[in-house]
Amino acid sequence: MSSSPSQGKVLLEMKNIGKTFPGVKALQGVSLTVREGQVHALLGENGAGKSTLIKILSGAYTKDEGEIFFEGKPVEIRGPQDAQALGISTIYQEFNLARDLTIGENIYLGHLPRKGFTVDWAQVRAGSQRILDRLGVALSPDTLTSTLSVAEQQLVEIAKALNRHTRILIMDEPSAVLGEKDLEKLFQVVRSLQAQGIGIIYISHRLKEIFELADEVTILKDGRYITTKQVADVTMDDLVKLMVGRDLKDVYPKRGLTPGAPLLKVNNLTRTKLVHDVSFDLNEGEIVGFAGITGSGRTEVARAIFGADPASGEMFIRGKPYKPSSPADAIRNGVALVTEDRKAQGLFLKQNVTINTTISGLKQLTRMGILQFGRENSLVKKMIQDLSIKTPGPEFMVVNMSGGNQQKVVLARWLSVGVRIFILDEPTRGIDVGSKSEIYQVMHDLTRQGAGVIMISSELPEVLGMSDRIMVMRQGTIAKQLSRAEASEEAIMKYAVGGEAA
Amino acid sequence: MSAIASQMTKNRSGILKVLQGSPVMGPLAALIIAIIFFATQSDRFLRGENLSLILQQTVVVGALAIGQTLVILTGGIDLSNGMIMALSSVLMAGLAVSSGVNPILAILMGFLVCIIFGVVNGSLVTRIGLPAFIVTLGTYNIAYALVRIYTTSTITNLPAPLLFFGQTFRVGSTEITYGSVLMVILYVIVWYVLRSTPWGRSVYAVGDNPEAARLAGINTNRVLTEVYTVAAITYGIAGLLLVSRTGVGDPQAGQTGNLDSITAVVIGGTSLLGGRGSIVGTLIGALIVGVFRNGLQLMGVGSIYQVLVTGILVIVAVSIDYLSHRRKA
Repeated sequence: MSSSPSQGKVLLEMKNIGKTFPGVKALQGVSLTVREGQVHALLGENGAGKSTLIKILSGAYTKDEGEIFFEGKPVEIRGPQDAQALGISTIYQEFNLARDLTIGENIYLGHLPRKGFTVDWAQVRAGSQRILDRLGVALSPDTLTSTLSVAEQQLVEIAKALNRHTRILIMDEPSAVLGEKDLEKLFQVVRSLQAQGIGIIYISHRLKEIFELADEVTILKDGRYITTKQVADVTMDDLVKLMVGRDLKDVYPKRGLTPGAPLLKVNNLTRTKLVHDVSFDLNEGEIVGFAGITGSGRTEVARAIFGADPASGEMFIRGKPYKPSSPADAIRNGVALVTEDRKAQGLFLKQNVTINTTISGLKQLTRMGILQFGRENSLVKKMIQDLSIKTPGPEFMVVNMSGGNQQKVVLARWLSVGVRIFILDEPTRGIDVGSKSEIYQVMHDLTRQGAGVIMISSELPEVLGMSDRIMVMRQGTIAKQLSRAEASEEAIMKYAVGGEAA
Repeated sequence: MSAIASQMTKNRSGILKVLQGSPVMGPLAALIIAIIFFATQSDRFLRGENLSLILQQTVVVGALAIGQTLVILTGGIDLSNGMIMALSSVLMAGLAVSSGVNPILAILMGFLVCIIFGVVNGSLVTRIGLPAFIVTLGTYNIAYALVRIYTTSTITNLPAPLLFFGQTFRVGSTEITYGSVLMVILYVIVWYVLRSTPWGRSVYAVGDNPEAARLAGINTNRVLTEVYTVAAITYGIAGLLLVSRTGVGDPQAGQTGNLDSITAVVIGGTSLLGGRGSIVGTLIGALIVGVFRNGLQLMGVGSIYQVLVTGILVIVAVSIDYLSHRRKA
């Protein structure tokens, strides 16, 4: 390459950007410079202003203050069309694909080439193929989008952006939806885009990725610009300190509890094609981590223990046979599941904090079938305080809360029911470091009070930092059980991918 | 200057907050404005007897809209409600008049048929997982056919118990029907149940996110079946109110009950997507439609124009609701 990415031509300059919403200064004096062929990481906790900045750049919001320059010329971005005309594309966490159309149709959606009155399918195919090749993706343009994996759908989104002559690609937590295995492919694609001179704004909560991918990093906190650094010049600890003002080693609470009596025993749990002969124990005061790649059967094990899907095998809670017929039955037996997908399976987004918190424990809050609003309100207020949930009050709608606070509301739901076995599926996915650390503390406190926690996680540092024992799953079975002392990222990955890839 | 600006944003967010905070405020404001408008257009509008008339004209659709609200809150829709009402009303009338069944027993049998329809609707929606639209479109036709198979002629000379809710009592100089009172009581009961019982919460939860509701420990199939059944009972009450108001069993009745009740529900601010809305809003929505029809009639506007205005009303009401919620996001 002719020049290093940190010296390439400046594509985009945002200077002193400010944005105010009624009652909130969302952004104040934020600046960002992106060069050709550069991966520029944007870092900050939830609510730091990353999304607002991105939305201003993609035309979803208009700025109140500041200036934007594109290739040195001042520009105004008044709507998505302006952003598109400049060559700014965004890949959001939630994809914008028409599932019933083919890859080619999706890539050309909105500007299908015409031949007379009909679509020029030959060009759609050839053009799509060219872009897919450019990305190094082995997919046919004729494949139906609904048959693709999440990782493949993401690649189609990237292909779509490339087809619109993208100069700047904004990627909003692209790794959040991927397992470890797909991550490497994403990195390859990002690097190849970089080599083609595209400027990339990369948002992620996973610091490791930033060191692997990014050239520069800009840090925001509470809507303000903190600093921009060369990634080569900083350490992970530096970034965490800049972001939250706390050391990385304080993120995980000190474990080292002596496990108590056996709580849950699972023998030969099996679900056709998804889970085979999974057996393990969970003791009081213990956190058992479930590692493995996406699709290794971890979520299916969790759902079976929670009675959400039928499965065969034997289970015992405190020695008594346990065969949940439904989630309601599991809850009665003291088992709770915090699902992987908060919005689709956990939250009631049209309801407020109170309703989301108490929905599973309403029976305890009634007298003769009537809800006692006073008791309910004080319970919710106590939960808000105990878990330091950031909300103006119990009446606040959960849809307007950050991911971390939404997750705390889901946790509060189970804490208020008096559950003893907590199954947490990716409990910190898409959550900022500050809230993560608070959720870890909640898990730690739960086990100190004698509860048992099953934690499914694709983030290896989290698995290593929190688990007392680790079950590594591969292809529906437990490939290996590791003690805290034996465990390392390498050991986990070795058993997670098995002989086929390692 | 910035102080003024911030004061302005405060005021604006204040108004929006009221609209969002309680979904009833928008429809209520519309109702009050409509009443004031018609009061300035006609001296007769605000008289007790006219207000009582509006209430009487609202009872049947009002009762149908209670069940419709429950179903829509769960994310469903009930196209069969008007025909279930019609079937129960001709059965109540026909059994009592032609078959000589004790009138009270005839009423109960009318309710029994409603309950059967409710259980069928609910079971098809939950057990087979069919969309509510399809299920109730089917049962709409079935109920319609059953009405016409049972009778094609209007049933008259009804016994007293069937007419009770059409009778009136005096408050001052105004005569109010017992039917109007029954409808208001029904609204109060359903409002209380939705607000203050775990069942009410589960109705909203199931409508908001059925999978999350199931994983939160709610028996979603049972809640849905109960909702369709309770709704069908309110259609039976609507049938009884219809018979007592018109004094006959009419096989032509109820054909637009589904759309009229949906109109009241959506004007009342309940989301067709489920999980958001209120029963009080529905009552206000039904009253808004009643007030407009009555007021326009007093102004001498033809009935077809009343329908026109109702159509505009639906679109305006839902647009305002939609915009106020979109802005929040």
